[in-house]
Amino acid sequence: MYSITPYSRLSRAPGRLHCPCRATITTRPSTATPPRLDDVTLMKPINIAIDDPSSLRSTWSHRAWVATGFASVLTSLAKSVAAAADSGSFVEPLLAAYVGYVLADLGSGVFHWAIDNYGGPSTPVFGSQIDAFQGHHRWPWTITRREFANNLHALARAVTFAVLPIELLLNAGGGAASHAFVGTCAGCVMLSQQFHAWAHEKKSRLPVAVVALQEAGVLVPRPMHQAHHREPYNNNYCIVSGAWNGVLDEYKVFEAIEMAIFFRFGVRPRSWSEPRSEWREEAEDTTTA
Amino acid sequence: MACTSLPKYPLTFPKSPNTKTPSSPAFPSLLKSSHSRIYGLKFSTNSTSSLPSHSSYPQRMLICAKVSKGDVPPSFTLKDQDGKNVALSKYKGKPVVVYFYPADETPGCTKEACAFRDSYEKFKKAGAEVVGISGDDPASHKAFAKKYRLPFTLLSDEGNKVRKQWGVPSDLFGTLPGRQTYVIDRKGVIQLVYNNQFQPEKHVDETLKLLQSL
Repeated sequence: MYSITPYSRLSRAPGRLHCPCRATITTRPSTATPPRLDDVTLMKPINIAIDDPSSLRSTWSHRAWVATGFASVLTSLAKSVAAAADSGSFVEPLLAAYVGYVLADLGSGVFHWAIDNYGGPSTPVFGSQIDAFQGHHRWPWTITRREFANNLHALARAVTFAVLPIELLLNAGGGAASHAFVGTCAGCVMLSQQFHAWAHEKKSRLPVAVVALQEAGVLVPRPMHQAHHREPYNNNYCIVSGAWNGVLDEYKVFEAIEMAIFFRFGVRPRSWSEPRSEWREEAEDTTTA
Repeated sequence: MACTSLPKYPLTFPKSPNTKTPSSPAFPSLLKSSHSRIYGLKFSTNSTSSLPSHSSYPQRMLICAKVSKGDVPPSFTLKDQDGKNVALSKYKGKPVVVYFYPADETPGCTKEACAFRDSYEKFKKAGAEVVGISGDDPASHKAFAKKYRLPFTLLSDEGNKVRKQWGVPSDLFGTLPGRQTYVIDRKGVIQLVYNNQFQPEKHVDETLKLLQSL
């Protein structure tokens, strides 16, 4: 029927420190091979807001990537508008744009879940993102200190590399709806970090329009995202509108995938254990605020 | 021979009320002509109050069920967390709750174990024993039981032989060992088979409900 390797026979993946009082788990002594250490264990994170505040500022490289990201997105949207104007129908492209916005939220959740739970700073391609997310969980408030391009440049770079080839393909036969979907989805993905930063900002510091959009659920609401930064740190992963969070958490989709990955590959997600010191949140130092 | 569980739909969501055993199978000719064969329908009728609101959610179909309500389950002898052999026959004469769970130190299994722990007095009052079974080794069980102060026996079904023999269905297209609980009465006959992968605490509610009616 199936062949499941008992946990005790699997090589133990790195987990978090022990905390015996929770219903969720921590790593346990294993009779199998010793745990593999990843870079998370060896890294000594610094509080960048205090120790290296310049790392929160935008560089020209950051600005360049954000510019290319926006250029890609706006090109898609412009093509969509032009095609819609030609055809005289805006309904399809608007619907496609909405679908793009909805899927961007789902995509943000999946990416965020994967980055939060697996890999480490030396993971190929995603290592720097994992490192950044680790720093974010440790000092969540620093995202509000990052300058705009500094915050968005990584996603903008990914969007540039994704959208340009897609748009080249769509040039062959894409309609207004296709361009609208691509532009909106990519735009929301790129801006998700800004939405994320706004979800960490104090309400009094946000523009009224942003607060209104958060409270309407168009952008991820602040309380919803703050729940992600509290125990058990395994929910509310989506950061565009957060609309998918209810379904994904209620139906324990990520837990199901985590269990499947665990039984198939023997890798435990970080959320199954108490946070290691390098992931554990530190309170904001008011002297640096 | 192990059982094969076929989802009625391509994907079974975790919150699915895979409550008791599945609904009536599509291939009755393969089944024994036993009164217990239509247990799926029976459970649906008897347990509507315990089903979530989306009780119309797809049920899984079993082509053949190895152990089901009304059966006397095959005996086994497995090692407990102290390395001692424990036979199912040890519990004859009293009700016993045998719950199969995926693995120690996973979120659902920890919740389930803690739920059984927290209601253990109620099980004792009903004169029942609780036994948890997974494929982990005795050392893993010992650490798990110690950490969460579990007062009941955990058995090591290494190689998942008993799981296969009893026909515990797997989830997520075979990637996940199923979470299924059996309540066996004093005469050694199964009176309840309850399956729910992602709502582990419900196993306690359902089994207690049945024990109180035995």
